[in-house]
Amino acid sequence: MKVLEVKNLTKKFDGFIAVDNISLSINEGEIFGLLGPNGAGKSTTINLIAGLLRSSEGEIKILGKNNMKHSRYTKMNIGIVPQDLAIYEDLTAFENVKFFAGLYGLRGTELTDRVQEALEFVGLLDMQRAYPKNFSGGMKRRLNIACAIAHRPKLIIMDEPTVGIDPHSRNYILQSIHKLNEMGCTIIYTSHYMEEVEEICTRISIMDHGKVIAEGTKEQLIAIITNTKDIWIEVKSVEQIDIEKIKEINGVKTVSLDKNVIKINSEIGINNLNNILLYLMNQKVEIGSLEEREPNLETVFLTLTGRNLRD
Amino acid sequence: MEFWMIFSKLILLGYLVLRFIHVTDRNIPWIIFSLLLYLCINILYYIVKQDRMKRGILFLSLVQILASYYMVQSLFILLLPLNLCEIFPFQNKNRFMILILVFLPLLPLPNDLAFQYGLVAALSFIIYMMFMQFTARLQMQEAQLDVMRKNLQKVTRILNENNEFIRQSEYTFKLEERNRLAQVFHDKIGHTMTGALIQMEAAKRLIGSDQKKALELLQNAINISNMGIEQIRITLKNLKPPIEQIGINRMKLFIEEFSAKHSLSMPFIYKGDMERITPIQWKIIYENLTEALTNALKYSEATMISIKIHVLNTMIKVEVKDNGVGVQKVKKGIGLIGMEERTASINGKIIVDGTNGFSVTMLIPIQGTM
Repeated sequence: MKVLEVKNLTKKFDGFIAVDNISLSINEGEIFGLLGPNGAGKSTTINLIAGLLRSSEGEIKILGKNNMKHSRYTKMNIGIVPQDLAIYEDLTAFENVKFFAGLYGLRGTELTDRVQEALEFVGLLDMQRAYPKNFSGGMKRRLNIACAIAHRPKLIIMDEPTVGIDPHSRNYILQSIHKLNEMGCTIIYTSHYMEEVEEICTRISIMDHGKVIAEGTKEQLIAIITNTKDIWIEVKSVEQIDIEKIKEINGVKTVSLDKNVIKINSEIGINNLNNILLYLMNQKVEIGSLEEREPNLETVFLTLTGRNLRD
Repeated sequence: MEFWMIFSKLILLGYLVLRFIHVTDRNIPWIIFSLLLYLCINILYYIVKQDRMKRGILFLSLVQILASYYMVQSLFILLLPLNLCEIFPFQNKNRFMILILVFLPLLPLPNDLAFQYGLVAALSFIIYMMFMQFTARLQMQEAQLDVMRKNLQKVTRILNENNEFIRQSEYTFKLEERNRLAQVFHDKIGHTMTGALIQMEAAKRLIGSDQKKALELLQNAINISNMGIEQIRITLKNLKPPIEQIGINRMKLFIEEFSAKHSLSMPFIYKGDMERITPIQWKIIYENLTEALTNALKYSEATMISIKIHVLNTMIKVEVKDNGVGVQKVKKGIGLIGMEERTASINGKIIVDGTNGFSVTMLIPIQGTM
C-alpha cells in the first residue's frame, strides 16, 4: 500500500522554483530518505506534504487521499518533526506533549496514556516534570519527536532531526526511528548527513536544485557511478606476490603494486576478500593494514552534481 | 497569332465580296483586280520578315485601298481600319492614337457609308486590341518560361557538379582505403606469407634427408602463418570505425569550431566508455549542448566554457559549465524548458546551477541498466 504518492509536484516562490516537478511514491514500512544539500528543496517538499504550504502544481496523496481535499484526515495520520524545535520552554515535558496530542483530539485517560507512552519511547519519562529550558539539545530533540508521535501517526516526517546534537542523542534518535519503523510506521527522513541516510534508510532520493536526480536503494545509487570498489592492502614485503594469481580471483578486475601497497579493483557484490587474504597468507606475506574503499552516497552526489553535500 | 489578323481580314474580304454581288454599278474587272491586289499585298505582308519591308508593304496596302476607294468602289474603304491598326507597333500606350486614327476617315465619308465604316472600324479596333493583349501576355509568359528554363539549367548543372564531387570523393576515399589495405597487405601479411613459404619450401627439400630439421621448419611455417592470420584479423578490425567515433568526433569538431568562432576557451573532457551512448542520446546531448552554449554566449560574459561527458556505470553525465556571471535565481526560459523536455524524452534530468558561474548538467540513464 502506498502511504505517500506525490505526482509532478512543483512549488514556486515569486518566480523561483523551489520544488521542480518531482514525483515520489513511498510504500508502507519504508524508511525513505531525502538526501541533498541545503537549499535542495527538501524542507519545502516536506512542508508541502504536511499541508503547511500549498503547491503550485501537482498532487499529493496520503494513504490514498488528497492532502488538500481531505486535510483533516491526512493531518491526523502525519506526525511531523520540524527542523526548528517546536516546543514551549515554559511548559514541562509532559505538558508539551499533552498540548500537541490534545490538538489531535485526544482527551482524558487516553491522552495521558499516549503522552506517557511517547515520553517513554524517547526516554524522557522520568524527566516529564522538568522544563525543556534546562534540557540539552539532544533531549529537546527527543521531546520534539515525542510531541510528533503521541497521536500514533502512520507517516512520520523528520526534517533533519539530528542537526546540532551530541552523538549519544543522535544514536538514540536513530535507534528510535528503527523502533518506530518496526512498530509499523512509515518514515520520511531528510538529512544532509550522508552517513545517517546510508545507515537507516531503505530507499533514498537524492535531491538537488528542487529536482530528484536519482532514486533507489543505497546499492542502486552507488551502482549509478560504478560497479567496482578499491581494496588496498599494505604488506611488509612484495617479493612473494604474483599479481597474476590475484587477478585470477573471482571478481578482481585490476591489480597493481604501489611500493608495498597492493591496489586491487574488485567488483561490488562479490565477496572475495577471504580468497585474497587466503592467497596472501599462503604466500606467507605479512599484512600491515587493509582498507576497503567503497564509494558512498557522498561520492555519488559529488559525481552527479560536481558539488559536495555539505559546503 | 498572326492567323487571328489574317482570319479577320478574310472575313472582311468575304463581306466585301458579298456586298459587291448586290452592287448595281458594276465595274467587275476593276473590282476583282483591286481585291486580288489587296490579297497579294497582304499575303506578302505576312511572308516578309524584315520590319522595314513590312512597313513599306503596309503603306503600299493603304495606298492601294485609298486608290481603290476613289477610283473603283467606295466600299473598299472598309478594309482600311485593320491596316491602320497594324501600322502601329504593339504598344498599349498608342491605344488612344490608334482609336483616333482609325475613326479619322469617318469625317469625309457620306452618311450611309460612314455607318458601315464606323462599325467595321470599331470591330477592327477591338479585334486588334485583343490580338495585342494576347500577344503581350504570351510574350510575357514566354519570357518567364525562359527565365525558369535558365534557372533549371543552372540548378541541374550545380546538381551534376555536386554529384560528380560526391562520386569523386567516394572514389578518392575508396582509393585511399585500397591503398592503405594494399600497404598493410604488402608490408605485413605479404612478408609473413613469403616467410612461411620459404620455410615450407626448405622443409620440402629436407624431408628426405633430415626429417627432424624439416619438422622444425614446418612448425616455423605454421607459427608464421598463425601470425599472418592474426594480422589480417587486426587489419580488418581496424577497418571498422567504432560507433563512438561518429558521436565523439562530431562533438569534438563542433566544440573546436565553436571555440574558434567565438574565441572562447572550451576544454572538453570525456571519461568512460563512449560506445555506450546511443545515437539518439548523442543527438539530444548535441542539441542540448548547442542550446547551452548559445545561452552562455548570450548571457554569461564567460571567457571559458568547459564541457564534460562522463559515462558512469548506469548513467551518462554531461556538464556544460562557464566561468561567467551566473545568476542567483534561475528563471526557466523556452531554451531551458526545451532542454528539460528533450532530456525527459529519454528519461533524463537537467540540473541548472547559477551560483558559481553557470552550469547545466544532464543526467541520462543508460538503456537497459536502470
